[in-house]
Amino acid sequence: MADMTARGASAKLLEAQTGQLLSEFLLRVPQPGRRTKQAGAKTAAKGAAAALAEHAYVLDGGERLQIIDALMTVIGGAYCHLIQKRAAYALDPVQALQLLRSRVAGLSEGEFHLALTSIVAGLRDAHTRYTGPRAGQGAVATLPFLVEQYGPHGNPTFVVSKVSAPALIRDTKFVAGVVLESWNSIPFARAVDLYSDRETGGRPDARRARALESLTFRALECGPPPDEMMVDIGYRTSPGSALREVRIPWRVVCPAKAETSQRPGSRASRYIAANPAAEAVRRGKKLMFSGNVWQAERSGAAAVAREKGWIETRFQDTLAARTVKTHTAGDLAYLRIWSFDVDDDDAFIAEVIRLLDLLPDTGLILDLRGNPGGLIWAAERLLQLFTPNAITPARFSLLATPLTRAMARSPFNRMEFEAWLPSLEAAIATGEPYSQPLPLTDPAWCNDTGQRYSGPVVCVTDPNTYSAGDLFAAGFVDNEIGTLVCVGEASGAGGANVWTHYDLREALVDTPFALGELPADAGYTIAIRRALRSGAADGLPIEDLGIPGIPYEMTLDDLLHENQDLIRFCSGLLAGISRTTMKVDVGDSTVTVTTTGLDELETYADGRPLEAVRRISDGIQQLPRPDAQMIEFVGRRRGEIRQRRRVLLRGAGG
Amino acid sequence: MSLVLAGRIVPLSRDTKVARSETASFQGKVWIGDDGRIAAVTKGTRGSRQDPAGFETAPVVDAGNDLVVPGFIDLHSHLAYATLPLWVEPGRTEPFLHHNTWPTRPTYPESITWPAYAFIEAAPAELLAYAEIRALIGGTTSIQGSPPSNRPLDGWLVRNIEDETLRGEVGRHQILASTLTLKSEQLGERATRMRQGATFIYHCAEGRPGSIAQREYLATRTAGCLQRELVAIHTNAVDPAAYGTWQEPGAIVWSPFSNLWLYGTTTDVPAALARGITLCVGSDWGPSGTRNVLGELKVASLVSEAKGWGLAPLDLVKMITANPGDVLARAWQRQAGRLQPGALGDVAVIAAGAKGGARGDPFKTILHATEADVRLVVVDGRPLYGTKELMEQAGATRTSEISLGGQPCRLALTRFDAARQPWSFKDILKRLEEVRDDPKTAIENSRRRAFAAVRAGGAPPLRLALDMPTGRVPVGGLPKNLGTIVVPPIQPLMHERAFFSSIPGRGFHGGLLDGLADFYA
Repeated sequence: MADMTARGASAKLLEAQTGQLLSEFLLRVPQPGRRTKQAGAKTAAKGAAAALAEHAYVLDGGERLQIIDALMTVIGGAYCHLIQKRAAYALDPVQALQLLRSRVAGLSEGEFHLALTSIVAGLRDAHTRYTGPRAGQGAVATLPFLVEQYGPHGNPTFVVSKVSAPALIRDTKFVAGVVLESWNSIPFARAVDLYSDRETGGRPDARRARALESLTFRALECGPPPDEMMVDIGYRTSPGSALREVRIPWRVVCPAKAETSQRPGSRASRYIAANPAAEAVRRGKKLMFSGNVWQAERSGAAAVAREKGWIETRFQDTLAARTVKTHTAGDLAYLRIWSFDVDDDDAFIAEVIRLLDLLPDTGLILDLRGNPGGLIWAAERLLQLFTPNAITPARFSLLATPLTRAMARSPFNRMEFEAWLPSLEAAIATGEPYSQPLPLTDPAWCNDTGQRYSGPVVCVTDPNTYSAGDLFAAGFVDNEIGTLVCVGEASGAGGANVWTHYDLREALVDTPFALGELPADAGYTIAIRRALRSGAADGLPIEDLGIPGIPYEMTLDDLLHENQDLIRFCSGLLAGISRTTMKVDVGDSTVTVTTTGLDELETYADGRPLEAVRRISDGIQQLPRPDAQMIEFVGRRRGEIRQRRRVLLRGAGG
Repeated sequence: MSLVLAGRIVPLSRDTKVARSETASFQGKVWIGDDGRIAAVTKGTRGSRQDPAGFETAPVVDAGNDLVVPGFIDLHSHLAYATLPLWVEPGRTEPFLHHNTWPTRPTYPESITWPAYAFIEAAPAELLAYAEIRALIGGTTSIQGSPPSNRPLDGWLVRNIEDETLRGEVGRHQILASTLTLKSEQLGERATRMRQGATFIYHCAEGRPGSIAQREYLATRTAGCLQRELVAIHTNAVDPAAYGTWQEPGAIVWSPFSNLWLYGTTTDVPAALARGITLCVGSDWGPSGTRNVLGELKVASLVSEAKGWGLAPLDLVKMITANPGDVLARAWQRQAGRLQPGALGDVAVIAAGAKGGARGDPFKTILHATEADVRLVVVDGRPLYGTKELMEQAGATRTSEISLGGQPCRLALTRFDAARQPWSFKDILKRLEEVRDDPKTAIENSRRRAFAAVRAGGAPPLRLALDMPTGRVPVGGLPKNLGTIVVPPIQPLMHERAFFSSIPGRGFHGGLLDGLADFYA
């Protein structure tokens, strides 16, 4: 019976991973809007290509103008990186849109969308995307393998690092580890470069990283489908072996969103910093390469472990934790943060605290590679768990324009924008291009829990660590929490809060810039508030620059053997740091503090000193439980604050 | 629907065909036509040649000796905050200096902004209904201070002054308002709009005399806003001599309860009257005001008496009828606040049995009337609230019972989004209590529903905005955990014992407001 259930589950998973052929998807999916043309015998007689043309939604001239006008309004009036992008890429998207507007009626449907997509993609900003009339909500076009590179940027080797269900590739030799030589007969490196040019990303390494991420996974709600229905891949099973070729069709899968992800219309939706395409791709990869976890999630399992050795968590979509054994530093904690796409940052942070309690406190590797971002509050509030010092969050500014002033003045937006309004109005006289930068995560919220992890921390990023991932990396560096390691030049460099057409439409109601509904489900996302760093990098933008760290080049062993060289590299960094620890236990009548590596202990009750500074050595300190709401311990080593614990006493302990 | 109201008419009319003076009262009839306008006001209760034609099938309300008066006009309120109780900053011993000081107090957002936000976000239609019913049961037929909304509010219950179009006769933005202090550029624009015929109701110089708030009056003057069409709310910080600079005087709305509660002083009414400024009375808002303008009238009387200003009941009653009616008439080109041919068919019936007696001074009767004395309220010729008997006589349809202080009355209310579906106060209160019980869930669900509606291509649901300062709030205006929002008990519609007992020893009125309870004893 159990075998039958397992077989049934496997069959269902394979069904989900198989999805449907791209060609079938494009032909059969219902098209939006009143102008859809029906399929029928006549269509069948014309063949597939003709049917595609029949089904394509054709915008009329008026509808095209609606879209262009909306984009001109929001890019010219609200796009927070407009000044920077004009400088960095010598472009003028508003003028380009104006020019497109003047010739819009004469273009074919394909020409129109290509022209519009090119203007927006030219901004090299994964936050800011145009999505044309579409039917691909939640759909991802996939090839059932993952391409990654190792070695130096100038001379990379491209390999298949993961392969999905064998049934999807009818070539048993095409497995993880094969070296890729060509893509549709184009040398692989050249093909990647060509594709990179269509991708977002300010730096060449970021563009390539994003291109590799989406080379075999295309989020159809954020961009056009692949040009071809299938791909011919040239590969070798090992360097120097015979060249082989396999033809693999594009398939379309629907990985759906996790239960814990941000829900449309929620309060959190105004505080998102994410690359929506990368998030969809991440979900697609999960379905294809971690099918068991994906399936457990879909079946409603309360907590799931990715594989043996990983800790079960109900936030399995965003978190994965385990202990890793290293030669240099012994057992270390490893926490992968796949994404910040959560709706409830409190629950997310509580889960991280729970996981940290189960991990060794000897040192922690925080791995944010490929994290496409999500809820800003989740990223910035998480930082406090790893440091005894107060966190200063990033700040965000609006472009100072008549549109943003009107938006901030609107009574409907007072709760959201009142704090930005004085500087937006002052900008008329000061000439400042931006509003005053203000945090989106209130500093009090960034420090409401305090340190929870004793050991030293290393954070790993790559050029696909984006947006809220960038914000976490920036906060990690700027608040001097630990060492940042970066695969590539820097993190992904997405520095903004992202809104959708819905958000802007709602915010501009009753202003002179009011936006209408867009035809046929067309839409866009746009960077609305520009992130600026804090600390020593105070005022520096994140966009296009990213957060540099200690450089690291991936190895073949990393790609094929669970990042073993990367973990070794990080353990070396952690090994050199002097360790301190602090643990607090609250009893009915006493509070016990156990420390190592500290020489002074300060105690505060409800924010006030409770006793004189204690000189301490490793061991246990005990004191009567004070009649207070909260007790706080600060541990110093040679004068430097190394540990801090804040414990709520009301209702805690016995 | 036409309607005839018979009773002791107190027309406050300047039309000599109706009455020789504003002080007149007589047994007679008010005839309201299908167009919602008063067709005639006639003397005598029997038919006569004066009776207008076309009323043969009109329902007739026989109010007996009760007073048939113009519906009351509240020219200063904030409907979004109507459910909230009186507020004081704990431990404060000194009056606030001006309107920018109290919003900065630490308890302001949690006591005022967030509870109001919970209702405005999660139950906007219910909040509006509650606030308007509260006005209605006090005889109010027109009210200023509707929250900014994403769709027009006119034609539903009481007249929302900023939104009123008189069935499309006047433009939607003929009456402009601002609670927040405007910049000189914005004031300049308002000055221009006033010259083009708009009326501008503006919170101006609210605070103690000599405080920095008095500069707002100067700014209003230099921007060119001191016009006949300006309705300045408060001006209690103004040096009375400065009224002399208002060359073509407009109006001031006086909210003595709120002024005394927050600042311990109030508008210099005699100085304003001496300058020829029209005085109106407004109830202001829940945290520092009365529950309707009929209650505020009593506070005005208390202040007048305490300060020896000598305002007669007639003077005071005019401040909630004829005076604001004249102000609105400038913008609407239709008389309000007076019962005379052509005027708006907005009428209240007040029991003559109240102090003042059936043959006594009707203005004294009105001054002393409480919610329990309000027998019928008609807006635009439509009977909206009253005793069962009078509502039936008026031919009211789609009514539900509303019990106030044990007295069963009828309310003719339909749902905001479905004009033909009756809506009871009980249902409204139930929804508000649901929000109060769990504001977090209510707010979150409401946002999701709004998003889903728009995504589905439907019309966006009713959306309102707060019009008062938000105070010192975190990013986004709300607490991190919406579950920490505590919504205070929804206040009863009427002035009642708990309200009066919350006055002594609180606020900065020096005991003056304690006397309000005596009117309701």
